[in-house]
Amino acid sequence: MSNSQVVHVIDDDAAVRQSLAFLLKAAGFAVRVHDSATAFLKVLPVAQAGCIVTDVRMPEIDGLELQRRLRARKVGVPVIVITGHGDVALAVEAMKAGAADFIEKPFDDEVLLGAIRSALARRVQDTRDEARLAAIRARLERLSAREREVLDRVVAGKPNKIIAHELGISPRTVEVYRANVMTKMQADSLSDLVRMVLLCDETA
Amino acid sequence: MDPMSAETPTPQEFAAMKAALQAAEARLRSILETVPDAMIIIDERGRVESLSTTAERLFGYAADEMVGRDIKMLMPTPHREQHDGYLKRYLTTGERRIIGIGRVVVGQRKDGTTFPMHLTVGELRSADRHYFTGFIRDLTDQQLAEARLTELQSEVTHMSRFTALGEMASTLAHEINQPLTAITNYLKGSRRLLERMKGEQASMLREAVGKAADQALRAGDIIRRLREFVARGESERRVESLAKLVEDASTLALIGARENGVEVSFRLDATADLVLADRIQIQQVLVNLIRNAIEVMVETSEHRELEIATVASGEETVEVSVADTGPGLAPEVAAQLFQPFVTTKRKGMGLGLSICRTIVEAHGGRIWVDPRPGGGTVFRFTLRAAKLEEPSLVE
Repeated sequence: MSNSQVVHVIDDDAAVRQSLAFLLKAAGFAVRVHDSATAFLKVLPVAQAGCIVTDVRMPEIDGLELQRRLRARKVGVPVIVITGHGDVALAVEAMKAGAADFIEKPFDDEVLLGAIRSALARRVQDTRDEARLAAIRARLERLSAREREVLDRVVAGKPNKIIAHELGISPRTVEVYRANVMTKMQADSLSDLVRMVLLCDETA
Repeated sequence: MDPMSAETPTPQEFAAMKAALQAAEARLRSILETVPDAMIIIDERGRVESLSTTAERLFGYAADEMVGRDIKMLMPTPHREQHDGYLKRYLTTGERRIIGIGRVVVGQRKDGTTFPMHLTVGELRSADRHYFTGFIRDLTDQQLAEARLTELQSEVTHMSRFTALGEMASTLAHEINQPLTAITNYLKGSRRLLERMKGEQASMLREAVGKAADQALRAGDIIRRLREFVARGESERRVESLAKLVEDASTLALIGARENGVEVSFRLDATADLVLADRIQIQQVLVNLIRNAIEVMVETSEHRELEIATVASGEETVEVSVADTGPGLAPEVAAQLFQPFVTTKRKGMGLGLSICRTIVEAHGGRIWVDPRPGGGTVFRFTLRAAKLEEPSLVE
């Protein structure tokens, strides 16, 4: 674990921010906390960039806007976005905007730490290697037409009810398809699934 | 003629009386023909003496079909059977139940159909005879409008109570989730530190702290389920006409607007009419935005213009906007306008716009606020456009 790389925690809720810092320090990371994206952007020029863990919903500059501004400044620091539960649409938007990962609150510490380790190791880049891409494509091919339709809509951030309506099936059936898709794609989480699909789209 | 009269009139006097009588009758005739309300005169036994042209039209009878017949033919059961009793009671007791008071009753037309009407009755005594004059106003249109309004209102009030409850639960869930997240983080962090310590006590602590963290996660799970239930429990989306939604919502929301000098205009995009929406919920959003706009203009602005507009904002979305000419929003207020419990009103919980956001986002749309060019505020939200061939969403 490289201690030269700093994890920047950005959250407007003081308790969440400080507790995150405590957890990360306990796990051996160097941590800096910021109470807003604005505050972070101010210190960005002198900040040691490792990765950023940010809440998506914040007043003024939210998590998505922060990603946009970083991109505009050509800052390539990996960003892990924390979303409230069920904010799939927002999460997908974050992934499309280039987030390294998104984590749903409340989260298990191993999930967050794993995401941070990957981000610091830039494993996101590694996923672009051809072998992995080919594997993902092969899994996509194994999906039935219906499963693919459900997958596309899940990745577009549509809730089950809307998907059910669009496909003319019941929401319960959508849940079943969704579970099948997760299994067939060997996705550990929704973010994993979204990332795989986005990866194939980009390189297609 | 009056039997007590001392003398019989002379032929000249008789002619003058006859002329006066004819003139009075002509005056009555012309009144009955032109009076805009329906008017019927009956005698003390309830027989129709004369009626206005409007009354003929209203009940569907010609004058000669009614004159001389009992007025109760115009009443549905049970009043029809009891009218004689009503008359007798008044003539013996003098107790007024409708005379000079007026009330809403039901009338029956020649074809048997009934309608609500407002009836006022006047009394006329001439020599030893009693006459009653009934003035009748047809309430059909008015009652229809009122019934529809009441119906709309109760639907929306019910829904807004339900959603307010849901919003409370949802807000509570979010608010509790934050400290729970913090608790979990502290516990998991402590557990990691304890892992590096030696001894029996350290291992006991490690286990206890780990279990505490699991319980915090469990509490989070319960809240998550509550939130899911509230957020998605009752919503039902169908293909709806946006024009109709706007019309229904503004009927409700614009009550009293014109009296307050608010000029209202609509600009609806006919090419973007069909949307996928829960009718009641979207009406609630519209009512909320429109009432807010009116309230702020009435309180603070001389210039009061409200514009409600819809426009296709892409292949798949329709944008709805409500623009006012109020004082506009301070940037710091605008930034957190859709957060729960934020309000600029003296009364109010600050849930209205937060509920709007919950509803719009549950519909897959977005809600935001822009300054209006020339002063004021524009609230905008998007809805998913629907195509005609899409069937209604049946759960």
